[in-house]
Amino acid sequence: MVGIFGLLLVFIVYPLARVLTVSLFPEGTLTLKLYQEFLASWFIRQAFVNSVVMGVLTAVGGTAVGFLFAFTLTRTNIPGKGFLTLAAILPVISPPFVSALSIILLFGNNGLITRQLFGLRDFAIYGLRGLLLSQVFTFFPVAYLTLRGILESLGGTLEDAAMNLGATRWKAFRRVTLPLCLPGLASAFLVLFIESIADFGNPLILGGSGFPVLSVQVYLQVTGMYDLPGGAALAVILLVPSVTTFLVQRYWVARKRYVTVTGKPTRAVLRAVSPGMQWTLFGACSAVTLFVLLFYATIVVGAFSRAWGADHSLTLRNFGYVFGVGAQAIKDTLIIAVTSSPLAGLLGMAIAFLVSRRRFPGRQAMEFISILNFAVPGTVIGIGYILAFNQRPLLLTGTALILITNFLFRYIPVGIQSGMAGLRQIDPSIEEAATNLGASSHTTFRRITLPLLVPAFFSGLVFSFVRAMTAISAAIFLVSADWNLMTVQILSQTEAGRLGAAAAFSVLLILIILLAIGVIRLILGQLFDYRYEAAFG
Amino acid sequence: MKTRWMLCGLLVLGILVAGTARAQDSLVVYSSVDEENAKKLLDAFTKATGVKVRFTFLSSGPAVARIEAEKNNPQADIWYGAPSENHVVLKEKGLSQPYVSPNAKDLAAKFKDPEGYWTSFYMNPLGFASNVNTLKQKGVEPPASWADLLKPEFKAQVQTPSPQTSGTGYNMVAALVIIMGEDKAFDYLKKLNPSIQTYTQSGTAPSKAAAIGQAGVGIQFTPAFLQLIEEGYPLKITFPKEGVGFEAPAISILKGAPHLELAKKLVDWSITIPGQNAITDAKTYFFPVHPKARLAKGLPSFDEVPAINYDAVWAGKEKKRLVDRWINEVLRAQK
Repeated sequence: MVGIFGLLLVFIVYPLARVLTVSLFPEGTLTLKLYQEFLASWFIRQAFVNSVVMGVLTAVGGTAVGFLFAFTLTRTNIPGKGFLTLAAILPVISPPFVSALSIILLFGNNGLITRQLFGLRDFAIYGLRGLLLSQVFTFFPVAYLTLRGILESLGGTLEDAAMNLGATRWKAFRRVTLPLCLPGLASAFLVLFIESIADFGNPLILGGSGFPVLSVQVYLQVTGMYDLPGGAALAVILLVPSVTTFLVQRYWVARKRYVTVTGKPTRAVLRAVSPGMQWTLFGACSAVTLFVLLFYATIVVGAFSRAWGADHSLTLRNFGYVFGVGAQAIKDTLIIAVTSSPLAGLLGMAIAFLVSRRRFPGRQAMEFISILNFAVPGTVIGIGYILAFNQRPLLLTGTALILITNFLFRYIPVGIQSGMAGLRQIDPSIEEAATNLGASSHTTFRRITLPLLVPAFFSGLVFSFVRAMTAISAAIFLVSADWNLMTVQILSQTEAGRLGAAAAFSVLLILIILLAIGVIRLILGQLFDYRYEAAFG
Repeated sequence: MKTRWMLCGLLVLGILVAGTARAQDSLVVYSSVDEENAKKLLDAFTKATGVKVRFTFLSSGPAVARIEAEKNNPQADIWYGAPSENHVVLKEKGLSQPYVSPNAKDLAAKFKDPEGYWTSFYMNPLGFASNVNTLKQKGVEPPASWADLLKPEFKAQVQTPSPQTSGTGYNMVAALVIIMGEDKAFDYLKKLNPSIQTYTQSGTAPSKAAAIGQAGVGIQFTPAFLQLIEEGYPLKITFPKEGVGFEAPAISILKGAPHLELAKKLVDWSITIPGQNAITDAKTYFFPVHPKARLAKGLPSFDEVPAINYDAVWAGKEKKRLVDRWINEVLRAQK
C-alpha cells in the first residue's frame, strides 16, 4: 500500500506540482497575476463555458449510446451480437487527426453523408455540432465497456424476480435495472465528462476558432504563444470542473449500496425486453454500427487510394511507405504499449480493491490522486513529466520508461472506475467466506475478487492499451530519437500532406489493436474462469 | 500483498528495457521539418560528413515547450526547421547559443541572426491553394488578390490558420500589417470574417481541407500544396498580387548542447551549395536560401512570387500585441 502511494506521489502528484509551481511563480515570485488575467478575459470565460457545455452533452450522449449497446447486447437475443460488440468497441480506437479527417469526409461540405446522401450543401461541421458528433462517437465505447460489465454481473434474475412479482417490463426496467446500473451510469458519465473536457484532438480540428474550449487553449498557450506558465494556469482552471464532477459523483454514488453478486444462483431467462422493443433496440444499434463501419471504411479507402478524398484509384504505395519510414516507430509503439497496459490493468484493480474494500488512512486521497491525471490535459502532463524527470535522481527523459510511466499513470482511472463499480456489486461476504475457509487476503484477492472483476479488468486493460497506442497530446513531449511512436508519425505525415500514408499508418494501428484485444481476451479467458456466471449457476 | 511485489517487479523490468541504451555518440536533432524531408536532408548530411544523426519530429510549439522544459539537462543539440521568428523566441528565452558559421557570409542578412544565434537554410512563400473542382462547381475563378477573398462567392469557403495558434497564421497577419498598415489590415481581416469557414489551429490544416474539397481555398505556406498536387489532389496555387510574407526556417544550436562540434558541422554544411542542392534534390519543394543553389523543376523562381520584405525579428517582437488585437477585434467580431 505504501508502495502504491509512493508511486502515485512520484508519477502523478510530483509532475503536477511542478506545473502548478510554474504557474504560481512565473517570474520567481509568488503571484496570482496569471489567474487574474485569464479570469478577466472574455475569451477564456467563453472557452470555460464551452468546455462545460461540451462535456455535459458529450457525457449524456455517450452514456446513452453506451447504455443502448450494453443493454441490447446483454438483455436480448438479437442476431449478429458479435458484430455489434465489435462495433461498440471499435471507435475507442480512433487514430488522431485521421479520425477528424474521416469525419470531415463523411459530414463536411463535400461529405459522403451530408452531400451525397442528403444533398446538403455547405453543412457547417466546425463548431459544437461537429464536435459533439465526433466526441460521442469516440467516447461512447468507454461507457459501453463500463456498463456492459455491470449489466453482465447483474444477470437477469432480478428482472425475472420483479416480473414474477407482477411488474411490467417497463417497471422492472425503471425500478430494478436502472437503479442497479446507477453506479455504472454515474461512473460512465463522470469518465466521459472528464474525457470530453480534457480531450484536445477533436476540438483542435473540429471546434474551430468559433467554439474555443479550455483544453485547446491550454495547448495553444503553451505551443502557440510559448507561454508555459500561462498554459499551466489555464490547466489548473480546467481542473475545477473535472474535480467538482468527481466529488459530486463520489458523494452521490457512495451513499447507495448495491450488491448483486452474492454467490446465489443467477441463471435467468432473457425476457426483460419485449420482442417489439428488441427489434427497436436492434435497429438503433445497427444504425450506430453502420456509422462506425462507414467511419472505418473511409480510413481504409484512404489507405489504399492514390489521393484520399480526390483520386480513389487503388495503390499499395502508402503501405510501402509506412513499412519503409515507420518500421522503427511501429516496433517502439508495440514495446511501450505491451509493457504499460498490463501494469495499468493490475495497478488499477489493486487500487480499486484497496479503495473499496479496505479502511486505511488516506483512502479518499488515494482514490482522488489516482484519478487526477485523467482530468488533466495531456499537454500539461507531458510538460510536467519533462519538468519533473529531466534531472537526477529521476532522469527519465529520452528513455522508454518516461513514456511507459506516463501511459501507466494516465490511463489507470478507467480501470479503477470500472473496478470500483464492479466491486460495489460484489457482496463482501463472498470474500469473508474465503477468508473464513483459511485463504490469505492475497489468495482471496487473486482467487475470488480478481476473477469476479475480470470484465472490469478487461476494460481497464483494453482501454490503457488502446490509449497507449493512440495517445499523442502528452506523448509528443516525451518521444525521443530512440523511442518514437506511430501517432507522432501520423501527425508528421498529415502535416506534410501525405494523407494516404497517414491513413495507412492508422489502418495498421487499428489492426494491431484489434489483434491485441483478441489476445487479451484469450489470455484472460485462460487465466481466470471468465464465465463465472455459469460457475455459480 | 504480493500484487505489490509483482508490480514492482514489472516496473523494474520496464526500467531494464528502457535502460538498454542505443547509439550515443551522434548528433541529436529536434526537427520541425517533417519526418520524411528531415530524413532525406539529414541522410545527405551524414553521407557528406560522416556524422551520425538521430532526430525526433516535433512541430514548432511542442519543440520550444520541450526545449524550455529540458533546459537544465538538454537532451538535444539542434533545433532544425521552424520559421526564424520562432528561433528569435528561442534566443530571447536564452535557450540557444551563438555560432557564426564561416559559410553564412553568402546569405542575405534576413536569413541570419547578426549574432549568429540562428541561421535560415530554406524558405517558403505564403500562397492560396484552390480546389479546382469545388470552385468550378461554384463558377468562381481562383483568387488572385487579397481583395478577391472578400467577394461573396467565397462566403464560408476559405480556411486559414489562426494567428493565435499557428506561426503561419501569424505570418499572414504580420505580412498584411506590413502591406496595408496596421489599422487597415485589421479592417480587412474583419471584413474577411464572412469568407472564413474556420480559422484552423494547425498551420497545415487549410491545404488538406482544400485538397478534399471541404474548403474552396486554403491559405498557408506552399510546400504542402506542392506535395498534395504531387499526390494527385486537384489544387491550383495562386499568389495575391498585393504581396505575401514568407517563412525562412532556421537552425539553432541549443544552449548546453552535448555534441557542440557535431552541431556546428550541421550548421556549416546546411548552407553550403551541396547542402542547399540537397534541398532541391530531395524533392522537398522548399526554396534554397543560397543564391547559387539549384531550384527544383516546376517551382516558380522566387522572383516571380510577390514576396514582401518580411521582417521576422520585428514580427517576433510584435507578436503578443498583434495576436491579442486579432482575438479581441477579429475573432470576437466573427459571431
